[in-house]
Amino acid sequence: MKTKTFIMFVGPSVFLMFLFIAAPLVSVFLQSFQVTQGVFEEVIETKCTPGFPAQICTEEASVRRVLDDDGNPVSQTSWVGLDTYRTVLDPDAVSAAFDEGGSGWSQLMTIDFYKALRFTLTFTLITLPLVIGTGLAIALAVNRCVESLKGPVIFVSLLPFIITPVIGALSIRWLFIGDGIMTALLENWTGQDIAMFAQGWTIELLMLFYRVWHVAPFAFVIFYAALQTVNQDTLESAIIDGASRWQRLKYVVIPHLMPLIIFVALIHLMDCYRVFEEIIGFSSQAHVISLQWLTFDYLTPDDSGNRAISRAAANSMLTMIGIVILLIPLLRRTYRDHKNSSH
Amino acid sequence: MAEIKLANITKRWGSFVGVQSFDLTIEDKEFLVLLGPSGCGKTTTMRMIAGLEDPTEGEIHIGDRVVNDLDPKDRDVAMVFQSYGLYPNMDVYENIRFPLKVRKVEGDHDAMVRRAAEMVELTEFLHRKPAALSGGQRQRVALARAIVRQPQVFLMDEPLSNLDAKLRVSTRAQLKNLSHELQVTTIYVTHDQIEAMTLADRVVVMEKGIVQQVGTPTEIYDNPANTFVASFIGSPAMNLMEGQIEGGVFRCDHVEIGGLDTAHSGPAILGFRAEDAAVAPDGAGQITAPIYSLELLGDAVMVTVRTGGALVAVKADKDYRANIGDPVSFSVPASICHLFDQGSGERLAR
Repeated sequence: MKTKTFIMFVGPSVFLMFLFIAAPLVSVFLQSFQVTQGVFEEVIETKCTPGFPAQICTEEASVRRVLDDDGNPVSQTSWVGLDTYRTVLDPDAVSAAFDEGGSGWSQLMTIDFYKALRFTLTFTLITLPLVIGTGLAIALAVNRCVESLKGPVIFVSLLPFIITPVIGALSIRWLFIGDGIMTALLENWTGQDIAMFAQGWTIELLMLFYRVWHVAPFAFVIFYAALQTVNQDTLESAIIDGASRWQRLKYVVIPHLMPLIIFVALIHLMDCYRVFEEIIGFSSQAHVISLQWLTFDYLTPDDSGNRAISRAAANSMLTMIGIVILLIPLLRRTYRDHKNSSH
Repeated sequence: MAEIKLANITKRWGSFVGVQSFDLTIEDKEFLVLLGPSGCGKTTTMRMIAGLEDPTEGEIHIGDRVVNDLDPKDRDVAMVFQSYGLYPNMDVYENIRFPLKVRKVEGDHDAMVRRAAEMVELTEFLHRKPAALSGGQRQRVALARAIVRQPQVFLMDEPLSNLDAKLRVSTRAQLKNLSHELQVTTIYVTHDQIEAMTLADRVVVMEKGIVQQVGTPTEIYDNPANTFVASFIGSPAMNLMEGQIEGGVFRCDHVEIGGLDTAHSGPAILGFRAEDAAVAPDGAGQITAPIYSLELLGDAVMVTVRTGGALVAVKADKDYRANIGDPVSFSVPASICHLFDQGSGERLAR
């Protein structure tokens, strides 16, 4: 392809990517080092009584927002370096938690960022193998299914992925909340009172279950498509060589699927580290919060209408750094495989 | 090592018959080639022996065991596939070792792998991945993997088909040598008659799931059982002409061949091979017709005429020269002629 044709072909895409992805990213990055505040001025007012028998005048100082010529409040942005990151990460509180007299982990979990990080990491790393395992298991089962049943089974398997995330999360919540059907069944079965939403860990379990239920169909579709391309001669070679079903899966099928397993893992890690819908759907803010929800919380105006934009920006950057750290091993493996295959 | 006995093997998918009543005993250490065009049932037969397909009817014996109900891994066979069937994520060493590993074979795996690799001249490639090998090298890896655990039977499904013509010739020679060295019962599937002729102790020619003829390469070449075998074996294929036999004389358009040793009278098909006949220099041959085409083959010139509704070719001396349309006469003595029934295509008794 000629360079000019190539540029004309990819140019619009690159421009839009820059406009809608790179530019906002740079903007957020810059905002995380700045603080924007309203400009206030101190005004001294002299207030006098009507003046009988003698007028008494007092001076009162008050603070008010500076307005521009059009009557709009004036704001001022100042460069604060890493101060905002220090505010979010709160290193003093961290060292206090682990100092003598501090209560360690439980005290650390009272700091919003670490509370959110703990849940986000747990959520991501537990759901990852479950999503891949469940997706692969469904794909293998459907692949061996009778031809006439494949269509309906694929449709049913895909349903959780079709449902809107918040609606799905709410459905699970309604099944288990208070005297929901599932809670009633469990109470009936165990003979104990069960309150799934009274403590954090049961809510987390439901969230994990919901995410796996919701995302496994995506992994299933990808793996099922890839299973159709497994080399039948290689598979039959393995049968003749004496490989059991498990050995065929381990030595033939999984290596064949590995690039797609990594793809699904990459997508899932990126998606899961930004967990948000579950927090809203399960109304879990009192017990568990995620990094993405924390950003959302910073951006929500407080009682006086102020939004912590720079803290939201810093939290977003820290979330991105977290995702990159999680992706590095997978990207390294992909690069190594690509390098090996090109030799 | 083992004898293989196929007793009335039939494979059907619904109303479609893949293999029909295949009866054959393959001797211990024999190299048997299943030969036929695509879709004739040769690969299906091999897959049934391997255990990758279940026969609809009949019994398969390997050694003194009926193996119909045994899993492929329990039949003690090794198979080489057309597209090699290698494990792309493993290097050559691990590919060859794989059957030993999964079967938990006792002994020095390293020595076994190296010996197998040495037999197929792969020692220097042991740590390469299949993707870094040529087609011929990949097929040799597949061969080494087959021989490493010394099975009772080798099954080879068109192992040379994916190789280019030159490589096919050298790998064929290597296979022949390997077969001689290993002395293992081998079943080899191919649609290439040259492979069949060069490698086989016996050839089974198949068409539409039915065995047409079983015999040594010489028997099949010299005495084809029917017109299908006659036209399938040999390059060029046997010349076949439809005509009438009266009193031991075959006649059709431009053709009159007398002295045939047959009591048959009426319509018949006469066949002879291009290399058995000759151009009659004095124009006194049994077939006289204008030249349809001339092909220079290097060691000979193929002269073709149109007669009896068919093209008839004869190999002439490499110095033979003529023009298309010139009259030519072929000398076709009765001793080189084969007679077939015009209805069934079966060989006519002398």
